[in-house]
Amino acid sequence: MRKLITLCYACAALLLLSAPLVSAKELSGKLEIFSWWAGDEGPALQALIDQYKAAHPQVEVVNATVTGGSGVNAKAVLKTRMLGGEPPDSFQVHAGQELIGTWVKADRMEDLTFLFKEQGWMDAFPAGLVKQIGTDKGIWSVPVNIHRSNVVWYVPENLKKWGITAPASWDEFFAVAPKLKEQGVVPLALAENWTVNHLWESVALASLGADNWDAVWAGKLAFDSPEGVKAWELFGKVLEYTNQDASSLSWQQATDMVVDGRAAFNVMGDWAAGYMATTKKFAPGTGFGWAASPGTGGQFMFLADSFGLPKGAPNRDNVIAWLSLLGSREGSDAFNPLKGSISARTDSDLSKYNDYGKSAAADFGKDRIVGSLAHGVTANEGFMNDFASVMEMFLKSRNAAAAAKAAQQIAVKNGIGK
Amino acid sequence: MRNHDRIKAFFTLLPSIVLLAVFVYGFIGNTFWISLTDWGGVAALAEEPVRNYAGFANYAELFAGFLGGSFRQDLVNAVFYSVSLLAGAIGIGLVLAILLDNKPCGEALFRTVFLYPMALSFIVTGTIWRWMLAPQGGVNILPTYAGGQPLRFRWLSSTDTVLQFDWQNLLEIVCFLLAAILIVWGFWLLREQPRKAAIRLLLPGVVLGGGTWLWGDLLPRALFMEEMHGLNLATLGIILATVWQYSGYTMALYLAGFTGISQDLRDAAMLDGAGATAYYRHIALPMVRPITISAVIILSHISLKMFDLIFAMTGPDNGATGHPALNMYLTTFRANEFARGAAIAIVLFLIAATFIIPYLISSYRQRRGGR
Amino acid sequence: MAQVELSRVSKQFGATRVVHDVDLRIEDNEFIVLVGPSGCGKSTVLRMIAGLESVTSGEIRIGGRPVNQVAPKDRDVAMVFQNYALYPHMSVYENMAFSLKMAREPREEIERKVREAAEILELTPYLDRRPAALSGGQRQRVAMGRAIVRCPSVFLFDEPLSNLDAQLRTQMRMELKKLHLRMSTTTIYVTHDQIEAMTLADRIVILRDGQIQQVGTPVEVFEQPVNRFVAGFIGNPPINILPAVVSGSGADAVLAMGGLRLPIHPPPDCLDCRQVLAGIRPDAIEIGSRLSGLRKEWQVEATVVLAEILGGHSLLEFTAGGNTMIAEVEGRLTARPGERLTLGFDLDRLLLFDTESGLTLR
Repeated sequence: MRKLITLCYACAALLLLSAPLVSAKELSGKLEIFSWWAGDEGPALQALIDQYKAAHPQVEVVNATVTGGSGVNAKAVLKTRMLGGEPPDSFQVHAGQELIGTWVKADRMEDLTFLFKEQGWMDAFPAGLVKQIGTDKGIWSVPVNIHRSNVVWYVPENLKKWGITAPASWDEFFAVAPKLKEQGVVPLALAENWTVNHLWESVALASLGADNWDAVWAGKLAFDSPEGVKAWELFGKVLEYTNQDASSLSWQQATDMVVDGRAAFNVMGDWAAGYMATTKKFAPGTGFGWAASPGTGGQFMFLADSFGLPKGAPNRDNVIAWLSLLGSREGSDAFNPLKGSISARTDSDLSKYNDYGKSAAADFGKDRIVGSLAHGVTANEGFMNDFASVMEMFLKSRNAAAAAKAAQQIAVKNGIGK
Repeated sequence: MRNHDRIKAFFTLLPSIVLLAVFVYGFIGNTFWISLTDWGGVAALAEEPVRNYAGFANYAELFAGFLGGSFRQDLVNAVFYSVSLLAGAIGIGLVLAILLDNKPCGEALFRTVFLYPMALSFIVTGTIWRWMLAPQGGVNILPTYAGGQPLRFRWLSSTDTVLQFDWQNLLEIVCFLLAAILIVWGFWLLREQPRKAAIRLLLPGVVLGGGTWLWGDLLPRALFMEEMHGLNLATLGIILATVWQYSGYTMALYLAGFTGISQDLRDAAMLDGAGATAYYRHIALPMVRPITISAVIILSHISLKMFDLIFAMTGPDNGATGHPALNMYLTTFRANEFARGAAIAIVLFLIAATFIIPYLISSYRQRRGGR
Repeated sequence: MAQVELSRVSKQFGATRVVHDVDLRIEDNEFIVLVGPSGCGKSTVLRMIAGLESVTSGEIRIGGRPVNQVAPKDRDVAMVFQNYALYPHMSVYENMAFSLKMAREPREEIERKVREAAEILELTPYLDRRPAALSGGQRQRVAMGRAIVRCPSVFLFDEPLSNLDAQLRTQMRMELKKLHLRMSTTTIYVTHDQIEAMTLADRIVILRDGQIQQVGTPVEVFEQPVNRFVAGFIGNPPINILPAVVSGSGADAVLAMGGLRLPIHPPPDCLDCRQVLAGIRPDAIEIGSRLSGLRKEWQVEATVVLAEILGGHSLLEFTAGGNTMIAEVEGRLTARPGERLTLGFDLDRLLLFDTESGLTLR
């Protein structure tokens, strides 16, 4: 017995000694990861950290989270740290212009093209996505997950009861909406201010089409062009079928309206699937249904969380190892099923995802990919902040031409497409 | 000996003087400097951000620029918010204090109950009231307990605006307000000091009001376009929550003041023929005037710095219930417009100063007079 | 102008009874002083008259009108408080004008009355000042002015002089008396200071434990106190009270106090009393030239314990026949402790009290 234990100790010691030898590069020190993922999203991040620790046991991982306000607070803290010359090793940021407009333009990020080439990610990620997260000067972050913004949610049973189907276009929606209203059902549930922007981008995408949508953000099509004004007009019409108390509801409460049968539809990102499946215990497909938001079939409006490498990161090698893990198939398949999102890679293991995830992954592979405005892909933070004022103005005045004009002004001011 | 003491005192105070100079006044100065630059936009967060002197361009943009509309509405909100909070919290606090001052049974219990909301953080208050003021719940269903119809008012999401005015006419409106204040004040003093009232207050008031009415068109426009602002009804919910939180506080302040008035004074007033109303109006309230002044200063500061409550109740982008402090945070840390944010901060600072500086001057004079 | 009548007035706070069945009739224009040790209920009686305390039982009438249910302001009384109770945020003028303003008198009338009162009280130069900028005596005057302007039918004073220093107190006391002579308004004055009582009062009411002990003019209560308590309370220095035995009767009666044997004429109540308490006022003991007015038998040998000169007169503590007493004598007495001298008792002013009840035997 005693001998057996001694043998075990010996084996363990041998393993410990040999482990560093196995690893190609011996990493040590610290890795500070800055994010606003706590609560529901905490376990997903933890899964990644666990994998990282298993691979690099010598590295002490510091999980710095600043919660609240869907990242508003975290972003403010991050900015003070960066201004103070004390950047974290790697931080969470919405992929696209939110990163580029704020940090790349300020020359605070390192180009990651070398890592994308080294890891073979140029092929693993869809080309449309790589274009959105990079500029002509480089690629700036590694996307960890993909969410879809243009999804309309409903309860199939209720639709059957009311004798309607999910509308494929806004015209179809306008055909059934008055009937729903007569029955005392809110046709489209809406929540507080940011969800209004969220709805706007789905409506505008439907009105403009993917090409014009991209043209707007490339600065090639003006917001106050006839097409742009039309988008605002359509949006104004859609708003007439939303609930009056929107601004005092959270997005979950708007989703609840659909689940409880008080509203027919809700346009929300696919985190709503996680909410209905996990919190509300509805089965995807039967308990709740989804479709691309009206008029956006075949288009996948994405948003992504990503991590980058700030210049002057104290532990650069550790960050590169971290980013490699994030982009790897194992890493993203560990993270996304827990987060309720899909992997940015086209080769992910679909068996790990639920029904909604499978369907979204399939669409991601074949649809036209466009970026989301409300979640920081297509426009910088300055524009997004000013856009909130424009939206407020529109909600008050319902004047499409004026809103389009104002949107163009802020686009010029914030250098959209430059 | 005296000199020696002074030197000692100076060195004792030195650390706090230095800290204050750097961390309070230095930073105010720095913020003011930033507000005069163009720091913002795309490269705002570069390691060595470009900052060019821009004069008062940021202020001009805020008050008369195309995109300053939300700031202007926030400012109007803040004014209505401050005035309502002052009236509400001081009025209700006073009534509660008077009720408790008459020593009803269970006075100690009520005192605690009324003071308790003070102990909550704004985030908690905000969350509670957000639920209470939900369109189909809380306050709105109260009447149903009495057999009535539920209220339909949308406390936090109403888009109605009352007392609307056009920002273009700001100067005219300010003149009218001043005239109104002078005239009301004049009538107030008419019985006591008829000469002073007529010459110093009523006459200028009437002249100013009449002049503005006749030649107001000659005043410069404050903005190049029509822009309506007013009291957004959605702020009523926020006002309600703040009043709820601070009435108990003013009550405690007043109650402490009232309890400090000797029983003899009360008896004397009673013998002099002052009933309860006259006692509070002529004796108790004037005697606790310092308390009223501190309450006004404290509450106006709170209302000017209000951030977390609004954030918790209606979120960051709700224009109807916006507040300059919230706007400052979002402008600075979300839009990266550091110079613009600094300008908003300075505007708030100056408004706060208009409340506090007269108070400081008067208390300084009083202290010197007392010697 | 009014009388004030109290009939069987009682006051109870919870289970404690602080005023017992007080009967008192105060005549029009009379200056009545309520006096007694602290806690005797004198302030409570005053506050009941003012209407600041409710009456538990009994009735109070002012000018013949029952006022138990009448609000203080409608009783036509004015009160001066111990700590003056001036309104600190008002000027002297406003303080005095306040009650008139409350009564909605015309502005000119208020002005006239306040100026008149200020003139009487010599407050005219201070009318614009706040109470905080006045001396104690001036504040006291403002408090009186506030009472005067209303021309009430009854003035109530609650220990108004006790916050002043001794000198000012004497001065204010005299001014108060002059004021009363001038205004001749019914006045009820509460004090614990028997000198104020003696000097100011037309009649003194002595209270103890909520009960009236005696009502009388200052001389009456001094010379003919109804009991040992009144005798002890009135008079300064206090009366000497000694255990004594009366023996014999008629012309042979003798009062034995310690080693002293003094012939007396016992009062009718004491025809066959034996154990008594003898009360001798300090000013009823004489020395030197004034001995000649006294009977020879009332003169005794005494030993000086201490002699104090108080200006025009002196206090002498001595022992005689084993009794220690205090005498108040004319002139400046320079006797040393231990010195022996002859002194005499004016036993015509002797008071005898029952040892049990303390009642005066007469």
